[in-house]
Amino acid sequence: MTPDQYLLLKYSLGVLATIGLYSILYRETKLYRLTEHIFLGLAAGYSIVALWRETLKATWWDKMTGSWVEEAGAATDVIEGLGYWMYMFLLPIGLMGYFVFSRKHGWLSRIPIGMILGFWSGQQVMVWWTRWGPQIFGSMQPVVPTTLERFTVPSEAGMTAAQQAAVAANIYPSQALSNFIFVLTVLAAISYFFFSFEMKGKFLTGMNTLGRWLLMVGFGAIFGATVMARFALEIDRMAYIWLDWLTQLRIVLG
Amino acid sequence: MSEDKSNFWVKLQEIDRRWLYAILLVLTSAALFIPVEIPITPDRSSIDLYISLSEVPTDKTILVQSDWTNSTRGENAGQFEAMMRFMMAKRHKFVIYTYGDPQAPQVSRDALARVLDEREKAGLYEYKEWDDYLIVGYFPNAEAQTVALDNDIRTAWDTKKIFDPGTQTDRSPFESPVLQDIYSVNDAGFLMIITASNTIDVAVERLSDNPLLLGCMCTGVVGPQVLPYHQAKQVVGISIGLKGVYDFEYMMKYGVNFPGEDGEPMVKYARNTDLVIEPIAEGITFSRGKTYYPPLHVALTLLILAVIVGNIGLAMSRRGKKSQ
Repeated sequence: MTPDQYLLLKYSLGVLATIGLYSILYRETKLYRLTEHIFLGLAAGYSIVALWRETLKATWWDKMTGSWVEEAGAATDVIEGLGYWMYMFLLPIGLMGYFVFSRKHGWLSRIPIGMILGFWSGQQVMVWWTRWGPQIFGSMQPVVPTTLERFTVPSEAGMTAAQQAAVAANIYPSQALSNFIFVLTVLAAISYFFFSFEMKGKFLTGMNTLGRWLLMVGFGAIFGATVMARFALEIDRMAYIWLDWLTQLRIVLG
Repeated sequence: MSEDKSNFWVKLQEIDRRWLYAILLVLTSAALFIPVEIPITPDRSSIDLYISLSEVPTDKTILVQSDWTNSTRGENAGQFEAMMRFMMAKRHKFVIYTYGDPQAPQVSRDALARVLDEREKAGLYEYKEWDDYLIVGYFPNAEAQTVALDNDIRTAWDTKKIFDPGTQTDRSPFESPVLQDIYSVNDAGFLMIITASNTIDVAVERLSDNPLLLGCMCTGVVGPQVLPYHQAKQVVGISIGLKGVYDFEYMMKYGVNFPGEDGEPMVKYARNTDLVIEPIAEGITFSRGKTYYPPLHVALTLLILAVIVGNIGLAMSRRGKKSQ
């Protein structure tokens, strides 16, 4: 089999799998079920092998048993790194997690789970602030213009460093307006989630309603992006069939 | 007459949804063959990403965290291939690794092979594994691995052995010319995360307070939750979904603030018109983004039409019931 024929075979299997999975759009067929099971089996099998080869072997087994390398001229392999036998205790600790299925010994599973939760919780203090801190600061934006020289921010083209710094230090009316919309959106959206007290008065109920509307706009935008993503997947499958596979077929058929 | 009209709209609503699927498949397939270059204005987040990436010195190694598989090939493959073409045209050395999925390294390898193949056919400089790029593979537990990367990249990755074709042996990736000057993650020129999941959140949480430039190429589903990171300057830029792919390819083709045939730039960065980024000098620029963009428009038009027809049908059928 030539490399081109092999590639065509590979693409053809991909096309069959695509047709099999898309047959669900017609109705649930045996072809769909078969393809689905093949996919799941392949993914699970591949992941197990990859997990051993890419991870457990390198980070656990080789460290525990030590590593040997071939050396030119040497009769036998030579030791590259000594093994750390203490790593063997990681296996029973990990296996304890499976006692979650036993009523009698279920408590054992709490040991590894507790360790994981401990590590995870410790990280969260740092992680929370690194993720949300800059966003909280970023939300506090000036809404009052500091200059009325012009409405929009001038281009920095041809400016000296000092002039650029002056532009950066000012808040132009267009920026102030944009910041106001941003801050209003943040406050209105947050106000929607105040459930601890009853919303009374025109201002609070107005903010609450505005928050609900703005959230809906946000959800609409998110939904639109999701729809675009799903269409992209479908378009890619069609491109796979009509461009990749057909081109390869033409190459093989000459 | 009005009853006839009502019946028409009601009948339209009753069309088997499988006809809609068939129309969608036929139209998007046909649109793949329309050789149209749709003019666009790239998103601000895409322009920021492209400018930051273009300003990385070419002697700096770029880290590419490739956390996608074939399930999001429609968007991530285009992003990944565009990124590869960009780095190879600029002669950046790069490292690909993954924290997202055990299948991701092989998927990246396949996508990279396509780009290497097209460069070979075009007679361009051929990138060589070990000398010019490395694929260090999969690391499970993105949270722990990202912390390890931040603490000490040499310890975090030294468990991996990469095959060196020169010596025909497996060696530490840090003996490769790609990583030999990297002692901390901050020694890299850029970290690009190409993802279909929350691994960008993990990276922002654990790396964004570093001087390292962090960029993201993500799917349309992940995009909206990543946008605040750009607004808060936690990432330098984002390329979102298929539009992001086309934005990136468009800037590779036309540059930024670079005068076109009529003297006007195709992509304007109004904030600083002194900043001029030239188009990519070699290799393919337009690829999946340009090919998939017309079908996307066709699909979205069909969707909008279906929504309008469905709503008119609903309104007409309600009116019909009231009049009865």
